[in-house]
Amino acid sequence: MKLETFSYLPELSADQLAGQIRSIVAQGLVVGIEFSAAPDPYDHYWTLWKLPLFDIDDPAVVMTELDACRRANPAAYVKVNGYDPVRQGQVSSFIVYRPEQAP
Amino acid sequence: MFEAGVREYQETYWVPDYQPTDTDILAVFRLIPQPEVAPQEAAAAVAAESSTGTWTEVWTDRLTTLSRYQARAYHLEPVPGRDNQYLAYVAYPLDLFEEGSVTSMMASITGNVFGFKAIRALRLEDLRIPVAYVKTFPGPPNGIQLERDKLNKYGRPLVGATLKPKLGLSAKNYGRACFELLSGGLDFTKDDENITSQPFMRWGDRFLFVMEAVRKAEQETGERKGHYLNVTAPDCEQMLERAEFAKELGSPIIMHDYLVGGLAAHTTLSNWCRRNGMLLHVHRALHAVYDRQKDHGIHFRVLAKWLRLAGGDHLHTGTVVGKLEGDRATTAGVISLLRDDAVPADRNRGIYFDQEWASMPAVMPVASGGIHVWHIPALVELFGDDSILQFGGGSAGHPAGSRAGAAANRVAVEACVQARNEGQDLRTEGPEILKRAASHSPELAAALETWREIRFDFEAVDTPDQATP
Repeated sequence: MKLETFSYLPELSADQLAGQIRSIVAQGLVVGIEFSAAPDPYDHYWTLWKLPLFDIDDPAVVMTELDACRRANPAAYVKVNGYDPVRQGQVSSFIVYRPEQAP
Repeated sequence: MFEAGVREYQETYWVPDYQPTDTDILAVFRLIPQPEVAPQEAAAAVAAESSTGTWTEVWTDRLTTLSRYQARAYHLEPVPGRDNQYLAYVAYPLDLFEEGSVTSMMASITGNVFGFKAIRALRLEDLRIPVAYVKTFPGPPNGIQLERDKLNKYGRPLVGATLKPKLGLSAKNYGRACFELLSGGLDFTKDDENITSQPFMRWGDRFLFVMEAVRKAEQETGERKGHYLNVTAPDCEQMLERAEFAKELGSPIIMHDYLVGGLAAHTTLSNWCRRNGMLLHVHRALHAVYDRQKDHGIHFRVLAKWLRLAGGDHLHTGTVVGKLEGDRATTAGVISLLRDDAVPADRNRGIYFDQEWASMPAVMPVASGGIHVWHIPALVELFGDDSILQFGGGSAGHPAGSRAGAAANRVAVEACVQARNEGQDLRTEGPEILKRAASHSPELAAALETWREIRFDFEAVDTPDQATP
């Protein structure tokens, strides 16, 4: 199972993940977190982890929420999304955590 | 009273103090008059013959108000460094054109005038389509954002490949080639423009095997996949029959050759795609016949604007770095005209007019033709995320085959996006980024070794003049 952007790279280190989050925040995107234990390419709606994190300027907040989501859902895939309110659509999305036994 | 006779075109059609209105369609032509013809007369002839005028006075002129319908040549400037070559600006009143009709624009503006004897050569460089006219066209059936939302692909260029060899594979072997590429990591595979329905592979057989490959690659990777099923056909009935079958099989996307098929057929298909939620990939075979020569023809930026109006979700734009013609600045200008909502005039990119698209959906530019892994940093830098990079030979030519070639390209694209987001400069650090990524991808390492020396360093035939107005 690959699951889109960055899935052909080695798992991002904590520093690399922070770099990507910084880039999303720096673009003025709204950060959202979603999770699913059974990803399907035709499924557009994973479960939301809380509401999107509006008005975030510290990437550490996002990292904390991603960790909390993983701890609460150890069998799930967790992804981070960036919503562009001007373009009115998502422009960024990648898997941050995979379950330990992921195929 | 009617006075028969012949008057110079410029008496009526050269109006240097004319102020174009917000609803005029504006055209700029590169114009080489015959040596004995004054440039004002030649420009006026273009305006006249592409609107209300003909070579002699006619009595029926008196039954209408010509000033309401006539085009006007309103500005001329010599092209720097070129003898007897001018940029001629012509304004056309909106009422000369049928609503929502690219064919109407083409017939009027590129009709008689290109063969006019008093003109040695003529090239339509750019058109300003006023918002009032833009709003009569539905435009792309989906647009970039809707395509991304449908396919759940964000934050990177999409990657694809044209199936090679172009011709001669059986349907089952062709489907195998698709499957290897898609499961290896590409988002899309593509019929080449000359694949329609030949004796070696009929279209229906191709569609069946290819869609099995798409489904299986989706199950394997957990990602949406697609194949641009070419529905360009001998007639519109068969074109629509093929589109319907693609939909029945669950294909997310079909393909059409818009210049070969013609703008009317293309618009019919674009409308069908909008009604049926189908993505439309657009190929541009024939374009270089119109657009490559600098002195005569129609610039691709005009053909690209016409496509955005008629509707298409992807359009080939050239690559700059690959095997096909394309100046960097000019290509960047075309990409902007396809994707942006408001494009300012910029002579350095060959754009002569401000162009407002008034929220018309955007078209994804497609870079295809002789590109490989070493080009990827430059392509990501030039095209950005909202683009499709297609590696045909650059995937199937991998020493370990298509699957490895596809993976190499996908790894390289993702590594460049990752590095760019972290603040690295793809222009200067590109080779290092690729080499670092190759340390965890034997597929990329082999691709980098295979194509190390392949470059296409030829000077572009068509470049902007960079004249300042």
